[in-house]
Amino acid sequence: MALIPAQPSANPRVKKDMEAVAALDRDAELMLRVREGDDISFALLLERHRGPVVHFLYRMVQNPSVSEELAQEVFLRVYRSRATYEPTAKFTTWLFRIATHVALNWVRDGKKEKGQESLDEQVVDGVDRQVRDRQPTIEQEMLHQVKMTEVRQAIDALPAKQRAAVLMHKYEELEYAQIARALNCSESAVKSLLFRAYEALRSRLAHMAG
Amino acid sequence: MNCPTKRNEDAEILLDYCARKLAPLQTAEFEIHLKQCPDCSRLVEAQKEVLAALKAWTPGPVSADFDARLYARIAAEEAQAAPAWRLWLRRIFQPPVPYPLWKSAVPLIAACAVLAVALSVRMPDSVDHRLRADKVDIEQVEQTLEDFDILTPAVQAPAGSM
Repeated sequence: MALIPAQPSANPRVKKDMEAVAALDRDAELMLRVREGDDISFALLLERHRGPVVHFLYRMVQNPSVSEELAQEVFLRVYRSRATYEPTAKFTTWLFRIATHVALNWVRDGKKEKGQESLDEQVVDGVDRQVRDRQPTIEQEMLHQVKMTEVRQAIDALPAKQRAAVLMHKYEELEYAQIARALNCSESAVKSLLFRAYEALRSRLAHMAG
Repeated sequence: MNCPTKRNEDAEILLDYCARKLAPLQTAEFEIHLKQCPDCSRLVEAQKEVLAALKAWTPGPVSADFDARLYARIAAEEAQAAPAWRLWLRRIFQPPVPYPLWKSAVPLIAACAVLAVALSVRMPDSVDHRLRADKVDIEQVEQTLEDFDILTPAVQAPAGSM
């Protein structure tokens, strides 16, 4: 796919919005172009955010095929709402708000039990392949697998909202305000969620030191 | 400085310190506190271990056909929503999978080339035919005039002899 640099728009509405989002981010600028019917900008946004969204959802639902299906739903919603998009916040905040909403709905609908694979059977994580590339001993690889299973189980044991907060904080490095908007709660509520979530993780994973 | 372990409101300092997001001045202040507070030291060590464990959890790559499946879903949704003629036009000028605009002009250029060749083959023939027709007409007129010239003295001779 040919990546074409975005050209200044002649549309006065877009121009005005562009000035408004100049301080926000390039993603919002691209989304405004999508609003004007530029599909190449949508392809650029997809290229930039496909990985983070799929990985966030994978860690939320811990099932590769379900996470991709939910990520498709997220990008489909982004495309559907292009006509009404207004750059009132950072694009990633809006994107992860949709992703969190999709994931929490999926968990709430009780699809988790039906769709989840056995944690012991999962060998799709990139880290497993990285370890194999370095040719570790069988013992080292087994030990690593056990550790990763424990990490996945510890994350999975968190309440859905705490899990989403931790994943956005740790992996996506979103600000407290962004997480608050994504979860539709106050910043202090996010800090409280994070503190409780990390407290639970510390108690579950404390023995993994060293 | 308030101890982050005592008040939930200050817990953010602990999280930000471990995530290396704390401002330099606050970092220095918190590190002084850490030297005096064994509870905070233990908590920081445990938190760093958790973050290291989470960092090691890397998901695999996204499926290669992810984009194709998404564009197919978008196209299917648009097919349901838009009239057929608009969809046809959109497929030409704004395909779901973007490609260079010049590709859209290829069928048009090909059609123009075929038309140009057809005209160049057809036109000389028709011009020659018309020119030949003009030439025949002139020859016929000249021949008729010559015939008149030959016949005229023959008709006038008997009159002169009288």
